[in-house]
Amino acid sequence: MRRPDLHRHLSVPRCVRRLGVVWLALALALTAQAQARTLHFAADTEPSRALTIYGVLDPPQVRPLLSDFHRRHPDIAIDYHNLETLALHARVLQERDTSRADVILSPAMPWQYQLANEGLSSPIDSPAAADWPSWARWRQELFGFTFEPIVMVYRRDLARRMIPPESHADLLSLLRQHSRQLDHRVVTYDPRRSGAGYTYAIEDARISARYWDLVEALGNSNSALETTTAAMLEGLSDGRYWIGYNLIGSYVQDYVAEHPELVMVVPQDYALVLQRLVMMSRHAPHPDTARRFIDYLLSASAQRLLATQTTLGAVHPSVDGAGTAADLRDRLGEAIRPVQIGPGLLATLDRLKRQTLLEQWQQAFDNRPTHAGGPLADPSPLPDAATE
Amino acid sequence: MTLLRRWRLSHLSLYRRLMIWLFCPLAMLVAIMLLQAWFASREAADRAFDRLLDAASLSIAEQVRWQQSRLWMDLPPSALEMLATDAQERVFYALYDAQGHFVTGNRSLPSLPPAKAGQMSYGDVISRDMPLRLGVLRSRLEGWDRSDRFEVRVAQSREGRQALANQLFLASFVNIVIIAALAMVVVLLSARFALEPLTRLRRAIRQRDPRTLAPLELALPRELAELRQALNELLARMRRVRANQERFIGDASHQLRTPLAGLSAHAELAMRQSEPAAWREALVTMHGTATKTARLAGQLLSMTRLNNPEATPAKRSVDLAALAQRCVRESFARHHRHGIDLGVDVPDHAVMVSATDWQLEEALNNLIENAALYGARQITVQVTDAPTRLVVTDDGPGIPESQRLLVLRPFHRGQEAGDGTGLGLAIVDSIARAHDIRLLLQTANPDHPERPGLCVVLIFTAT
Repeated sequence: MRRPDLHRHLSVPRCVRRLGVVWLALALALTAQAQARTLHFAADTEPSRALTIYGVLDPPQVRPLLSDFHRRHPDIAIDYHNLETLALHARVLQERDTSRADVILSPAMPWQYQLANEGLSSPIDSPAAADWPSWARWRQELFGFTFEPIVMVYRRDLARRMIPPESHADLLSLLRQHSRQLDHRVVTYDPRRSGAGYTYAIEDARISARYWDLVEALGNSNSALETTTAAMLEGLSDGRYWIGYNLIGSYVQDYVAEHPELVMVVPQDYALVLQRLVMMSRHAPHPDTARRFIDYLLSASAQRLLATQTTLGAVHPSVDGAGTAADLRDRLGEAIRPVQIGPGLLATLDRLKRQTLLEQWQQAFDNRPTHAGGPLADPSPLPDAATE
Repeated sequence: MTLLRRWRLSHLSLYRRLMIWLFCPLAMLVAIMLLQAWFASREAADRAFDRLLDAASLSIAEQVRWQQSRLWMDLPPSALEMLATDAQERVFYALYDAQGHFVTGNRSLPSLPPAKAGQMSYGDVISRDMPLRLGVLRSRLEGWDRSDRFEVRVAQSREGRQALANQLFLASFVNIVIIAALAMVVVLLSARFALEPLTRLRRAIRQRDPRTLAPLELALPRELAELRQALNELLARMRRVRANQERFIGDASHQLRTPLAGLSAHAELAMRQSEPAAWREALVTMHGTATKTARLAGQLLSMTRLNNPEATPAKRSVDLAALAQRCVRESFARHHRHGIDLGVDVPDHAVMVSATDWQLEEALNNLIENAALYGARQITVQVTDAPTRLVVTDDGPGIPESQRLLVLRPFHRGQEAGDGTGLGLAIVDSIARAHDIRLLLQTANPDHPERPGLCVVLIFTAT
């Protein structure tokens, strides 16, 4: 899965909020796409302890968390490495026996689950971990600490032409009724090129067989296919697209706040929910600080921070208000479908499964029988646990 | 060493002995039951969870097909979710083709030897330091054109099985412990009840008057009734022994009193006379009586010595021939004076027996003396070899057959006439008993009705 490059341009922090933030390193990666960024918080006291985090969470979202944690534990020097999801996965596997990271957090749920299933995580024995809602954790090893719905976005002026969609069913009927008007006007993830798009496709398909009708309708109206939420939002903002389907809510929320011409909709019939999964590395060099950090992430105060200062959404049952799981559940009830943290995720990563699903998707999208153009090439290299 | 002695079984109380013999097997039994329960619960848990492997691999195998010139599989996520129970096991799967090449999966898993029955085989494997339960399903494609074989291998970590096994074992453990506790209580109580008659017996014995020899009257279980009977038999023997002793003492004092009274009467009579000749005559008579009394006292003494069960003198190897010759030589002169023909007939070689020599001498002397006292004129001492016998034959009046058992009792004389003390044959009998010697009284010369004579045979048992 690719991280939506919402914050590709570097934003220098406007003010240094905490004295603890002494040093912020921004390092450009070798490739143009993969910009590895590093946040560093030096310890304020001696002796100091270290904490290394590999994460897929942009600095603006993670900084409030890290600085709050640093304020509480000034003796811990934090190294935060922001990576691409696949790069993170590859790096963790590469360092499986000589881990450098203490904490690994990523929204690529199947990949994170695969690492934990392989035994690369280690359990956290703390009351906070034990009390964490069971639907948001696997064993005591993998914790979903954010709550990010997958949403639809439409342009405010769409309402003048038709009733904007509020659910998947609405979207399908809109596409069927206004297929000519919406020609080239709908945008969604390309599951063949984007890991995130593929994950949502497989979850959508599991939830409803009518998903294939939707794909067919999307194909009929020649929908555009993008690989990142950012690209879709830019297209929507430019007016190239009118409706975006399956965008990551946490990024949309930020963007919509600055672009009033866009409206975010959490689908009424069902809303997939993505969770960022955090785990402690099995060979963590600093298990102490790692445990402390994960404990902090699962604490009510960190969750409140997530709800108020970021768009990530809090999971903690005692935290409510806007931007929390409780709030979303209150509004949508049963329609909330968090991606289950379980071995079903492993199927997502199966190479043959992927080809099968993508073929089917292609077939539905193109309205043509499969195998017409010969076997599909493996869409993009995915790490294969069995051949590593 | 002292510890060993302390723990020797013979020193332990009956109660402790019972406890040890009941509790050791009980503890062993409990240990065996626990071990068996442990294995059974593990097996039950494995059986239950193997069903999951079974179902998951079947569900995966259903999705295997031939597509794009290769084995193909649309992995159903539910198949994997099936494998994760509440224990959230780690789950692994892999598809292998007929040649054993990895087709797809999240980990390469080993194969297992085919099971005897059914398609599925199970096994415990260690994969990358992770203990896993592996199930291998052998199947083949069921298409029109292809029927390739393939293997679906699924594995899960053992947490769920462990939890179930522990739970099952805990239940059995509680059961077994409760049963063992009950058994212990029962054992303790039953041992107390079983030993209770023993306590009663002990009390009954302790509370008895030490002088009484009356039999024990006490209701006891069979095993102890035997003991009581044995005790009563012992008591009866003791009563008989005491009665014998009392009679012996009575007889002895009576026997001693008669000659002493005679002595006193003679002395008194003599003192009234003034004739020295009469004095002399009285003195001679008194001397005879005194000699007889002295012999009686000597015989009483040796009888007492012989009947003392505490003193069992050591037996030595004794030459019977030499012993007979010695005795005859010593008493020959005395009997010769009284005109008694005393002869000895022994083999040339030594005849060895294991005995106490002074007792044998005593017996032989008594027999010779006895014959002389009851009017024998000819006494022959004979020693024979094989069988080893000592025979004393005389030509006296003999003993009628009806009297022969009675004469062996102390103070019973064959004839009222004669100077016998009535102890001679009783002493011989005692000595014969102490030496395991058969004592036979026979008629020496049955053809002679007036003087049939007596033949006393001592037959030595082979040693």
